[in-house]
Amino acid sequence: MDLDLSPAQRAFRDEVRAFIRDRLPADIRQRLRQGHPPRKEDTVAWQRILHERGWAAPHWPRAYGGAELGTMERLILLDEIYRAPAPLPQVFNVGMLGPVLLKYGTEAQRTFFMPKLARLDLWFCQGFSEPGSGSDLASLRTAARRDGDHYVVNGQKIWTTTAHLADWVFALVRTDSEARKQEGISFLLIDLKTPGITIRPIISIDGGHHLNEVFFDDVRVPVANLVGQENRGWDCAKFLLGNERTGIANVGLCRERLDYARELAARITQGGRPLSADPALQAEFAELDAEIRALEITNWRFLLTDGEQQRLPAFASVLKLKGTELQQALMALLARLDGLGGLERRADADTPRHGPLAPRYFYSRAGSIYGGTSEVQKDILAKAIVG
Amino acid sequence: MNFELNDTQRQLQDSVRRLLADHCSFDKRRAIAASADGRSAELWSRLAELGVTGLRVPEAHGGFGGRLEDLLPVLQACGAALVTEPVLASAVLGATALACAADAATAARLLPGVADGSRIVAWAHDEPGAHHAECWVETRAEARAGGWVLAGTKSTVLHGALAAQFVVSARVAGAPGDRGGRALFVVDAGAAGLRRRDFRLVDDTPASELQLEGVAAMPLGDPHDGAHATRAIETTLAAGTAAACADMLGAAEEAFRLSMDYLNVRQQFGRLIGANQALRHRAADMLVSLEMARSMAMAAAVAADRPGDEDSAADLARAKLVVGKHARLVCQHGVQCHGGIGMTEEYAVGHCLRRVHVLDHLFGDASAQAQRLAALAALA
Repeated sequence: MDLDLSPAQRAFRDEVRAFIRDRLPADIRQRLRQGHPPRKEDTVAWQRILHERGWAAPHWPRAYGGAELGTMERLILLDEIYRAPAPLPQVFNVGMLGPVLLKYGTEAQRTFFMPKLARLDLWFCQGFSEPGSGSDLASLRTAARRDGDHYVVNGQKIWTTTAHLADWVFALVRTDSEARKQEGISFLLIDLKTPGITIRPIISIDGGHHLNEVFFDDVRVPVANLVGQENRGWDCAKFLLGNERTGIANVGLCRERLDYARELAARITQGGRPLSADPALQAEFAELDAEIRALEITNWRFLLTDGEQQRLPAFASVLKLKGTELQQALMALLARLDGLGGLERRADADTPRHGPLAPRYFYSRAGSIYGGTSEVQKDILAKAIVG
Repeated sequence: MNFELNDTQRQLQDSVRRLLADHCSFDKRRAIAASADGRSAELWSRLAELGVTGLRVPEAHGGFGGRLEDLLPVLQACGAALVTEPVLASAVLGATALACAADAATAARLLPGVADGSRIVAWAHDEPGAHHAECWVETRAEARAGGWVLAGTKSTVLHGALAAQFVVSARVAGAPGDRGGRALFVVDAGAAGLRRRDFRLVDDTPASELQLEGVAAMPLGDPHDGAHATRAIETTLAAGTAAACADMLGAAEEAFRLSMDYLNVRQQFGRLIGANQALRHRAADMLVSLEMARSMAMAAAVAADRPGDEDSAADLARAKLVVGKHARLVCQHGVQCHGGIGMTEEYAVGHCLRRVHVLDHLFGDASAQAQRLAALAALA
């Protein structure tokens, strides 16, 4: 057993760290440090800088703009991006759709889309959930009827994160209503400029606009935009949801938020003394630090060891559950540290003293809902161990 | 022991609930919160007609001389309906501070208006440097020829924009953290040297920050009688603490009610989600938390009606800690039970969480209460 990075991995980490130090715009870093979600222009600008090194899509083939990095190098890169903090490469493009196209796409789809996904020339969002289909995703009803060389799409998607910023959506649609529910689903790429699409904002409890409803009314989608086979879209969805395991624990995010909590505690005074002088708070930081380290080592152990993956194929649920729990604890802690001053609601442009920490705490409650609720994750684990 | 509401309390609670159902349904409440003032003068006058504004005002000044115990069911209803009126700000904090600290003439001038709701008196005590530190007051009061003047900053003044007067704590002697050396003053909203910055809290409650630069102020009682001011400040904070507990209980009850309804209508995988054991157990956990919060909201009301004794101080700190923690848990579980819809502005359960988050921070958050309890235990 060995928990150390190899000399080559250490050198890679130093290289990434130096790159981020030299190239990350200070204003982007400052906004993220304060807890603002990255703006679209920040994500685009930073992803294009990363793209120069192939680090926007680090695990992809070089031919499509990737760097063919191994898992450990990807983890190092992700950790450094989180800890900077810098915007993550756009997850729908890089973590989800890219790998699906590599596995199921046509050569034409790969050639057209993948370089644009890596450079963020096109911004994709994910059209999976529907009003009646959340945890029970396979019950989705948005229908695509074949009409010559087009599909005609009708229905509604909900909780579509960043649809209002996006150029395209990859969507699950029902192409066979007679089949068993998983067997009549197809995976379509849809240009959001196509006539018949309406996007409506959903304002969430942090007061922000991240989520949307997307309505499809006789939307014509070329058959060439079908990924994989008709009625086999569930395979793509399962692959997509199971594929994005490297980014599921968000260890670097936890570390960065704990760093910021320590920074705030040293800066905020309670009756003349810094909060950081409180032994109870120091102990709370220490406990979180220990939990984050445990998650980090668990993340490495599962992601780097085939034997461990075979022993517990459902390991991703362990990472999601624990990662979410820690992120929610950290976001709550930050909001608490900010005290009464943090209760003031301000517009985004008018930055609060320590960032929008209470709103971020509110939004952090979504972590145990999206990407498979904590209840669903626990069911998956229970099935693996109890049967 | 008796844990029942009396007939008068029950009747008032029923009337307030009916009023809020008619005039502060969730849709109406959203419209009120989105309006320029963030509150409704009409709703306020109807609450005043029911006597809510006079509950804490002595009978001699047009009120009912009520105990916190009488306010508990009312504030519970206000919390459940997510009311943004100055009930806590003026009917509890302003009224209690004046009733405790003001001389007869000042009380006769200000309290009748507070009792009938026509006058809003806000409580300006918190300061940016305090961060829940008890007794922390940096604002200075100085005697000048012709009267007293104040200089300092007051933060998180609830409903500052509506106030005709502020009750302001300031220091006539000692260091910022000293218990003694504080005094209470009345400052008119239009006073020269007073600057007010208005904003909303994250739960939509209107609030303000006050900058006082040589503002003329009228002392409540003898400013050099530190014990008088300490008693009034602690009684006011005790009332505020109990009121916050009652309000948080109401918000948690609403989150609970909404969640149980949802578990019984939402279907996934061909059955009600409430049929899943995981969610049934979550519902049971929520009930346990709610019952803890209910007990301690009662304990807080009882303790606030007996300010000054050590058992009451401990029960208030325990109550604030427990209600804050458990009401938050109920609301967080409530959001989780709802899934995506619980994360939206258009649905009430997330607003319950936001309200509890704000109230949990007022009058000292859970860690501050734990520190107070530890200090009390060390004294015993």
